[in-house]
Amino acid sequence: MSGLAQTNHTEKKDFLVRSSSLKDVRTFCREVFEKLHIEQNLKEELVLAIAEAAQNIVKHAYKDNPDTEDKMVVQISCNENKLQIGFYDMGTPVDPTKVKHREIDNVKPGGLGTFFIQEIMDAVEFKDGNKPWINHLVLTKKL
Amino acid sequence: MTYKVEEIENKRIVHLNGEIDMDVADKARSTILPLIEAGHEVIINLSKVLYMDSSGISVLIESKKLSEKKNTKFELVDISKPVEKVLAMARKFL
Repeated sequence: MSGLAQTNHTEKKDFLVRSSSLKDVRTFCREVFEKLHIEQNLKEELVLAIAEAAQNIVKHAYKDNPDTEDKMVVQISCNENKLQIGFYDMGTPVDPTKVKHREIDNVKPGGLGTFFIQEIMDAVEFKDGNKPWINHLVLTKKL
Repeated sequence: MTYKVEEIENKRIVHLNGEIDMDVADKARSTILPLIEAGHEVIINLSKVLYMDSSGISVLIESKKLSEKKNTKFELVDISKPVEKVLAMARKFL
């Protein structure tokens, strides 16, 4: 990480809520982290966590509406050595008490994404979504 | 994601290439699971996989479980660094 990652920097982009957008989400994140000079290993971990959170929006918040034309917004902010990634969507409201990774002894596939997010990030917080947004997730990582 | 299946006697070596995410996981699943179902020994070459998320890992878990049920061999080889990292995180589930 260079000094640039310590400066204030915010970028955001919207994406159609569908699985084919996940590649574009990753590309956006890589471009922003490149500008922030975040080192390769951490960059790829952060890209994974962000892509998993975006995937959760597609998979869960829009489970009953897979052909939606709605967009989700991903916002990356770096401020005083703290990276914050915000996600905004207009899907089904998320009940934060029901968002958990699966038990370790449960070897069924699926549900790993939340585990990866929690492993990689320092904090995962659901905030009230201000109109028009329904869900607002914030992931935080100290750099 | 692209793939190539190499046939050597009862072995099927699946060479995966590119990024494996939710968008292509079904394609990977429908390539690998029928080979295991048919009783082949399946080897997944991951040397050219540049990115894999939880959807890709889920396909590997399903494949492993099916191979155990069918009593056939399932192996991952030439694991790329990005995939090794994700596998290391998921190891406790594998």
